[in-house]
Amino acid sequence: MNNAPVSPAGQINKTVWRIFFILLGMAFLFLIYPYIKTVVLVLLIAWLISMLLNPLVDYLESIGLKRSLAILIVVIIILGLVVLMVAALIPAVISAVESLSAKLNADMIKGLAVQLEQLFEKNLNNAALARDLIAKLQQLGTDMLMKIGFFLKNAGSYVAFVGIVPFVTFFMIKDKRLFKRMLISQVPNRYFELFLNVLHKVGDQVTRYIQGQAIDALIVGLLSVLGLFIINLVFDHPVPFFFFIGMLAGVANMIPYLGPVVGVVPAILLAILSSPANLGTVLIWIVVVFVLVQVIDNNLISPLVVSKSVNMHPITVVIAVVIGGNIGGVIGMLFAVPAWGIIKVTMKEVGWGLRNYKLR
Amino acid sequence: MKNPIWENIIIKKKSVLSDTMRVLSSVPIFSDLDGKELIEVEKIVHRRKYKKGEPIFRMGDPGLGMYIIVEGAVEIIEELEDEDCKHLVDLEKGAFFGDLALLDEAPRSASAIAKVDCDIIGFFRPDLLDLLYRKPHLGIKILWSLAKVIGERLRKTNEQLSNLQREMKVCDE
Repeated sequence: MNNAPVSPAGQINKTVWRIFFILLGMAFLFLIYPYIKTVVLVLLIAWLISMLLNPLVDYLESIGLKRSLAILIVVIIILGLVVLMVAALIPAVISAVESLSAKLNADMIKGLAVQLEQLFEKNLNNAALARDLIAKLQQLGTDMLMKIGFFLKNAGSYVAFVGIVPFVTFFMIKDKRLFKRMLISQVPNRYFELFLNVLHKVGDQVTRYIQGQAIDALIVGLLSVLGLFIINLVFDHPVPFFFFIGMLAGVANMIPYLGPVVGVVPAILLAILSSPANLGTVLIWIVVVFVLVQVIDNNLISPLVVSKSVNMHPITVVIAVVIGGNIGGVIGMLFAVPAWGIIKVTMKEVGWGLRNYKLR
Repeated sequence: MKNPIWENIIIKKKSVLSDTMRVLSSVPIFSDLDGKELIEVEKIVHRRKYKKGEPIFRMGDPGLGMYIIVEGAVEIIEELEDEDCKHLVDLEKGAFFGDLALLDEAPRSASAIAKVDCDIIGFFRPDLLDLLYRKPHLGIKILWSLAKVIGERLRKTNEQLSNLQREMKVCDE
């Protein structure tokens, strides 16, 4: 039966060469990574968006629409919503910055400096330390302004970045099967069924995980918005931009354990800045709202919508978030947990495949 | 003006496409499909080449889908304990096998080995499920044909079984 086309020694030789070329390829990718970082980020974001939009496109296709038209409709609707949200957000952000700068006027900073100096002299007998601290704070302020200037200078490239993502997403959804077939066609026959099966299983679980996370983030965001809206109604608007803050909490919630804390901080800071008469009560209610949202999320929403296959230990989450932050800043932190989830699911399914297939 | 380079590429591509569709339409599972539907199926099948003696799948592997022989011949064998094997059947050009794996992931009941260099089309369960969701009308047509093929096979097995039982009864008497 077994007229093996290649001798065992030849097979080992072939495997050694394959491993060598894979390692060489990885080293090359590592070398050119700084130059292709933006492309990788665009592909990653487009891929994540395509995962989210694919079920909608598939549904439209199932009711008789052509795939290209279905993608166009979905992408235009989503882009429209994003543009509407950004258009609503920009005036709100500008007015927030204006009100913030009005509150943090020069007199206030000078007053703060004097108070700090007195405090340090009185308690630590060290006014020089206070002056040093103030100088550093001023330097930090200047640095931040320079960074904002740099951001504005590069606004064009960010707009180009935002423009490229929908374009790439369109083709990722349209030619998803073509890309998959191209990839599979490169796999040697002996691993073909194993690879195909594992690819489908991983794809299935990752899609469910990402969609679950997105639905969870949306529901948590809307619940936070509702809670903050009620606080605003009862306490005479102590939390400005409650919609933005609530949705931000929803997005941050994608980082397990750390996300909920990230969500509550902006709400508390804004409440402090708007300094309502009953600040203490407002702060307590903000915390109550976010705790309540977490209780509902952990006991009702998450168990229903988020896949259990990527459960993670808190230490793993912290390590993943720190590594993600080092690689890609805030975006890296946000993608760290899903990326680790994908790696975990892939490892699990590859293990299953290696145990169940007779590799010849 | 005709460009021989492009002409060759275009002709080659066309012939590969039509070849896959022609083979698909000759298989009972796809024989009820019209041209447009065959194009949809053609987009999701995998065409692969196997060398003589190369396994296509092994007995005990999780079932993933069916194969259709475009060129060559495939030997179906049962792997026995002590690295021995029992020859079951030889399949020629146009034959299909492994179709039960379109329904579930149960382990393969036999191994399929390329008897000579083969050109084979693979059609797999995850792609069928995806097609059922995206194009329910087409997916149901394929499932219906698959059910008919399996039903026919079951009928033949039943006939053989009752014949065998009759023969055993005669022997007992």
